[in-house]
Order: sequence, then structure tokens, then C-alpha cells
Amino acid sequence: MWWRGCWKSCFVLALHLVAASAQGELFDEDLTLRPLRDGRLEARFSFTTLLKGASPRDPESLRQDDEAQHYTLFPLALGQILREHAVTELHLTLNAGKWNYDHWGYPDEPGVGTGAELWAWMGDTSLTSVDQRWQGLRQSLAGLFCASLGHLDDQRTTSPTLTFQPEGSLPNFTYPHQLRHATLPSEHVCTENLTPFLKLLPCKSLSGIAHLLNPHRVFDADWHGLGVHVRYRERIGVEVRLAFQAVLDPVRYSHDGRRDWSLRSVFDRIVEKACPVARSSKVQVELPGETSYTLSPGPTDVVNDMATYELTSAQEALDVAMKWPGENSFVYPDTSQVPPLTDISVRRNLKGASQAEARLTIEVTNNLPVQVKSGYLETMPWHLQFYLHTLRAYIDDSQRDDLVTILSYAPPVPHSRPALLQAVLTLPPRSTLRLTMDVSKPFLRYTEHPPDAQRGWDLPPAVLVPFAFGEDDSPEFETSASHEANSTWTQEREPYPRRPSRARRIYTPVMLVDLATPDFSMPYNVIIMSCTLIALIFGSVFNLLTRRFVVVRVDSDPATPDVNSVGGVADSVGGTGAAKKTS
Amino acid sequence: MDGSGDLAFPALVAARLLLAFAPLPDALKYDQQLSSPLTSYSRLREGIYLFQHGIDPYSGGAFRHSPSLLSLFSTVLPLTPYTSPILWTAADAVAAWALVRIWRLRTGAKETSRDGQIAALYLLNPYIFLPSLALSTSSIESMLCLLAVMFACRGRASAALFALACLVQLSLPAVLLAAPIILLTVTRPVSRLALPQPYHAQWKRIIPLLAEFVGYTALLTFASTVVCGNWLWVEKTWGATLTLPDLTPNPGLWWYFFTEMFDHFRPFFLMVFSVHLLIYIAPLCIKFQHDFLYATFLLLGVQALFKPYPTLSDPGLFLSMFSIFPEIYPYLRHPIVTALIHLHASLLLPLFNSLWLRQGTGNANFFYASTLVFGMGNGAALMDAIWAGLRVAVGELKEGYEVAQE
Repeated sequence: MWWRGCWKSCFVLALHLVAASAQGELFDEDLTLRPLRDGRLEARFSFTTLLKGASPRDPESLRQDDEAQHYTLFPLALGQILREHAVTELHLTLNAGKWNYDHWGYPDEPGVGTGAELWAWMGDTSLTSVDQRWQGLRQSLAGLFCASLGHLDDQRTTSPTLTFQPEGSLPNFTYPHQLRHATLPSEHVCTENLTPFLKLLPCKSLSGIAHLLNPHRVFDADWHGLGVHVRYRERIGVEVRLAFQAVLDPVRYSHDGRRDWSLRSVFDRIVEKACPVARSSKVQVELPGETSYTLSPGPTDVVNDMATYELTSAQEALDVAMKWPGENSFVYPDTSQVPPLTDISVRRNLKGASQAEARLTIEVTNNLPVQVKSGYLETMPWHLQFYLHTLRAYIDDSQRDDLVTILSYAPPVPHSRPALLQAVLTLPPRSTLRLTMDVSKPFLRYTEHPPDAQRGWDLPPAVLVPFAFGEDDSPEFETSASHEANSTWTQEREPYPRRPSRARRIYTPVMLVDLATPDFSMPYNVIIMSCTLIALIFGSVFNLLTRRFVVVRVDSDPATPDVNSVGGVADSVGGTGAAKKTS
Repeated sequence: MDGSGDLAFPALVAARLLLAFAPLPDALKYDQQLSSPLTSYSRLREGIYLFQHGIDPYSGGAFRHSPSLLSLFSTVLPLTPYTSPILWTAADAVAAWALVRIWRLRTGAKETSRDGQIAALYLLNPYIFLPSLALSTSSIESMLCLLAVMFACRGRASAALFALACLVQLSLPAVLLAAPIILLTVTRPVSRLALPQPYHAQWKRIIPLLAEFVGYTALLTFASTVVCGNWLWVEKTWGATLTLPDLTPNPGLWWYFFTEMFDHFRPFFLMVFSVHLLIYIAPLCIKFQHDFLYATFLLLGVQALFKPYPTLSDPGLFLSMFSIFPEIYPYLRHPIVTALIHLHASLLLPLFNSLWLRQGTGNANFFYASTLVFGMGNGAALMDAIWAGLRVAVGELKEGYEVAQE
């Protein structure tokens, strides 16, 4: 009897595989591990499902019933949301921590802004407005990922098209596409978000590299975040990429301050078996430039300082380990000595002790020996309002307002709309551009404050996109840049081409603004006291205006005090000289 | 300017100009008692900046100044660190001159010994010169108000109504003054407080004047719309005084009330507070029908107390106008108490504002309490003025008699 059951399960599995391939659903997963120069380890999990031949839903067809959705590998819960709201491209990231660009370089997943960030490109038809579908989309995603994405409302939504260009292609509808973008920096990623995230994977966390996503460890990392990226690739299909990125600190985990790591030591798990439905499943390790390390087990192959382990179903458990045998304990690099790993470094802060106004300062340092042009985006909720006329640019205390070009600005509307500022900064070689701007802090109604009002409001990160290097692509840039790169040990192995095809975004850390709070226990008292004052003045004024003036005799005649008390009556208007009458 | 030959007026203006160019004004730029969101210089500059860069300043929520100021300062009179103090000092000088002219018209004299004193009481009133140093556009509003009253006193109806229409463009609550100013143009400004006589309304003269005022307002409104290209400005400027979207603290009574207001009661109380301002017009004009200048003065006091976005220059204008009614001084009911409340409040306001917003050692209730005291002070001044204005008619009393109300 047992062989029949075995045969049956084999048949079902085979049927699944056939079905998957027949419908053109491909699932690839890979894990990239990158030792960083400050002893940390960047781990990037990427799970890509491709729905071959599919295309995003045309919003014109929202009136009609949608075609039936039968997926085997593609996440149905997400697919339904995408079809329901006719979303062409979607990017959701939920991150916690501050990405240290100077030491960690550009992240493998570019969306590293703290908190939640959601942006979507949608076809714009008159049938249902983009804003309605955007609202539906964020609420559906909030439900799917157990995150407070419902707070990404109109007060946070902008359309910064210059910075957030579609990463895939846009289908050729007969009408234009529109971008909606919102960030919620106070949202934190947690286990409750990871669980629904893992449920979208075909193998859950049972097998494959997703097995390594141990919540106890990944949420203990110095930086961690998950992302969902949906894009349409023309003539290929709709691609859903689920990504998890973490910066782990093996030095912190080790007892003796060594940076040696293994999958077991950082995730407390190893890859037990490959995900059976994955077309490809691999673990990649970026090899550090120095030679004093050992990597075990031996990789399947090594290309360009990138060691690759192909996971196959036949393989036994995999535990990649990297050791520095000659090193007793890790010595942190001197932060003042090592050059930053990114082209530009950004600092942004808010100065001023007052709760009514402040000064915003952004310092952008160009680390390259050539001029860099960079896009600059602020999507600021109305909780901080810019005085754009006070925007000044300085280089070494000399004013250089010509280096800032404002491309677009939409002023904020209190209680409803955020500000959107898009500008281009020209950064001279090896210099720091300092922007200052006065800002005002509004006063909120008492119902608009969050429950922990004294904490302040998290403000979303600014985004910088360096896009033009050198003066008109001068050839000397290449030589000087590569020369520059040789002087540091990580830059030469940077996995990116020096001039990437797509401009890379740099997120500044989020800011906290301290807004003045009213006394939350006071509503009744204020209503009572203000109304009392108004009633008092109103009453007194009308008392004076309506009652007639009379002259009374106050000299004390004990015999007839009452009779004489009203000595005479005088109308204040008509009775001139009334006092004389009474005397 | 005043042709009096004495040097008091030019000296005062020169002193004010010196003050305006002192380094002090930078510290006052964002002071909430000196400039409200509707009169703030920074916001005016921001609006002009946006306007000149092709962004509709009324599409956002920061700029709430009238389009007439926007067009004036973005074309004819550019605002620079040098021109602005001169312009604002000039506005104060014109206002002081208008006040002196009103005084002369009231006394009927060509020149009096109190001229310099009246100018000084305006130019050196801290409630007036501090907002002016902070370059708050409330100085321009005070100037327009005094000009309107002055032209009305001279009987130059068109000029008075045009100045009033301009003022209404800048500040909607000034529409309260339309009735007494129109009535003032058809009567004489001389003091009749001691000799009250009923006024027989000359409707044939009043109705055309009212129509003229409506016409000027419509014209200016149309001009503003042409400048902006749309009607958004109405909601952002006049609408702000009715719906109070910006809850920045000020010395008035509205901001904390509507900060703490329950959302479902907000429209009701906004309506109550707005309508409440209108209640005073008719009774004050009827009771002081023998002296509409005095009714105008009292309505300015009501406005300073209850307007939605007051600055210190509103009560300042009311207090400075006391100087042109010397006949009421002997009859003020509690002048010392009123003065002390004012002194108390004017010390508390900046102190508690700073404790709350800068030092962080106080909370909003501190400043709210001081605005209540300030409201008390202004209310006491208003009640004193009404009492004294009515009491004058009874005249001097013999020993053993007192005036009371029935």
C-alpha cells in the first residue's frame, strides 16, 4: 500500500511542477552576503516570481469582472490587490534603522528610508481616480502586511516623478500613468510584518534560503527591512520581487570580538534544503579584497570576487562560513581616516530651540574629484513648513545660491497636503554644500496630536539622486575616479558600475520635529474660561449701553435714605443737565 | 507734514527710523504677538517669492496676505532690508499724521498744543512700534484705518470709503467699521459727547455711500482676482478669518479656544465667534449717534478684543486713539485698574510665550492665561471708554451725588 501513497504524492508534485512551468511562473531566489568594512555583514534576500506573459490590468477594465486568477507560485494575495486596484508598478519598503552610506556603501536594495515607504505607478483614467485606487491600495496592503499603511493618507502623499521613475516599463495604455508616493517614518518593521511576507513565498520559510529568515536574529540586526517590488517587464511579464535586507553584526555576536561569521552564527539557522519549485536558488558571497580570509565550504564558482553556491535539491545542508584566521579581534577602521563609500554624503538636521520656528540645514559633501549634479527631493508633511525665500546655499561660508535650482515646489496646505520640493544641486568637486532654510512649525488642533504627543513627529527622509558626474562627461573623470578607487579597499570591488544605468537614491536619516502641544486635559476649561470672558465683556458692554444713567444722592441722611436714594432720573441721551435738575 | 513748524513730529519719525534700522528687528521677526499668520512679514516675503517664481502662493497654506499687498510689493515697492523699515516707518508716520489731523478736525482748531503729544502717543506706543519694527502688515492696516477715519472726518466720502475698502481687502473684520465711518462722513466729527442729540438719519445720503463702498470693495476684489488669476485667495485670506485654519498663538481669544475645540463643535463656535463681532455695531452706533467718531473708536476696541487674528497693534490703535478724546479722562471709571491690568498682561504675554515655546518650562496654559488677562485689560479699557463716553453727558456733580445706572 505504501508505494501507492508515495506514487500519488510524486504525481501531485510532478503535476505542480508541470502546472507551474505551463503557466509560465518562474521563481528564483538568491541571498547575497557582503562583508562590510566596519565588521558588519550585509545580507540581502531576494525572491523573484515572474508571471510570464502577464500584463498589468488596464484601469479601463475595472468596471468589468476581472479574469480568473490561478497562480501556483505567484502570491495570490498580492496578485489580487494588484488586479483590484489596477496597479502597474508597486514598491513597498518597511525598514528600521539608519543606513550608514559612508561605511556600508550603496545598499543592494535602494529603498532604505527609515519607516514605511510606498510608491506606485498607476494608469490614470476617468473611470476611477488614481487617488481612490491609491487609497484602496494602501489599505489593502496595510491589511496584507499588518502595517499602519493606512496612515499614508493625503497628508503624506505626493507625486515626485523626477526621483521615482518606474523601474520596469509602463504598458501602452491610451492614457498617462501617474505616480503616488508616501512615506511614514514612524512605522517600524517587526515580526508581524515578516510573517505575512513569508506567506507570500511558495516555500514559505520551510525550505530554501527563506529558512534563514529567523525573526529572532533578523530583527536583532543593526539595520533591517523588507521590500515588495512589483514591476512590469515588457514582453516578459509581471515580476514580483520580495526582498529582505539586513545588516548584521558578527562582532557583536562573537565572544571574542572577531568578525568571523557563518550562516549558523548570524541567523542561528542553516539552509537545510533547497526550495523544490525554485528555478534557481543561490547564495552569493562577496569576497573581501584582502586575502587573509577563508571561505568554507568551497563555492560552486567564483566570478568577479563573487563566490556563488548553487543550491540543488540533491544537496545536503549548507552553512557558509567566512573566517579571518590571522585576526585576533576585529579592529574598527578609524572613521576619520577611511573615505566614504558613496559619491556624496548627506547630513540633514533641524536647528533651533523654539517650538514655533527652526532652521533646516542640509550638508551635502561631494566625495569625488569631479563636479556632481544631484537631484534633491523633500516630501515634507505640513508639520514643517518651508520659508523657501530664505533658502541659501553656502560653500565654506561663502554664499553660492547659484548652485541650487528649484525645479518644482508645491507649498503645503495645513491639515491636508504635504510640501513637495524638487531641486537640483550642483556640487563642486571635493566640497561641502550647505543649504539652510528657515522653517515654521505649525500649531495643531488637540485632536490632531498622536497619543504620545510630546515625542514629536517623525519627518520623512530627503532623497538625493546623484545623476551627472563631471563636467559634461569629461574623460578625465574615469581615470581620476578609478585612481581614487584604488586607494580604498572596498571601492574597487564595488559591484556596481561606476556610472549606473539608473541613478541611485540616497536617503537621509529621518528627523524628529518637536511641535508645541496644548494641554490635552483642557478642552472644557478653555471653553468655559474663554466663554466666561466673552460673556463678561458682552454683558458689561450691553449693561452700559442699555441701562439709563441716573444721579443718586449718597449723602447720609439717616431719616430718609430710601426716599432720597433715587434723587432724579436722567436719560443719558436726552437728559442733558439732569444733574442740575436733581440738585 | 503737519506744518506746525515745531520739530516734534520730524524728530519722532527720525527716532522711529533709527529704531527700525537697529539690529533689534531680526529678533522680533517671528514674534507671535507682533505678527499673526495674516500679517507676518516672513510669510509676505514667502508669498512674493512664490509669486515671482510662478507658483500660485494661494495654493499653499502659509501665505494669507491680500493679493493687493502681493501685487504692490512684487512690482512697485520691492521689499529689501533697506526699503522695508522705511516703508513701515512711513506707514506709521502717515498714521500718526492722520491721527493728529483727526484731533484737529475734532477740536476745530488749525493747530493745537497737543499735536506733538498725540503724534508721540501713536509713534511711541510700544503696542504700535513693536509690530512695526517686526514689519507686521498690521501697521499698514492701522494706517489705512486712520486714513479712512480722517477722510471721513473731513467729509471726503470717496477717499474715506476707498481707504476702508482697501482695509477690508487686508483684513475682513474691518468691515465692522463701515457703518460708523459712513455715518461719520455725513456728520461732523466735533465732540458731542457732552451734548447728546438724536441723529436724524439722512438715508438719501447714506445709501449711495454704502453703494459706493460696496462698489470699491467689488472693484478691489475683482482686481485681486485678476492679479491671482483665480478665486483661491478669497478662501485663503478672508476665509482664514472665518474658519481659523492656522492656530498660531496670538494675543487674541480665538486660537486656544479652537485648538482645544471638539471637532464636531468647531463650525458652530466659528459661527458664534464671527457673528458675535457683528452684534456690537448697531447698539454702539445707536447709543453714540451724536458722535460717530466715538462709535468708530469703540468698535476699534471691540475689534481689537475679539478679532480672529489680532496683533498687538490692534489694541495699540485703540489705546492710542484715547488721546483724541481728552474730554472723557475725568470720567473714566477705573483707569488705574485698567492700566495695571494692561501693564500686567503686557509683561506676562512675552514672558509666558517664551516660557512655553522657547524655554520649555511652561506649557500652553501659561500663555493662554496671559491672553485672558490681556483680554480682561482690553475689555476693561473698552468698558471704561463706554462708561466715560456716556458719563460725560451727566456732567460735573455736586458733593453728595453720584451717577449710577438704573
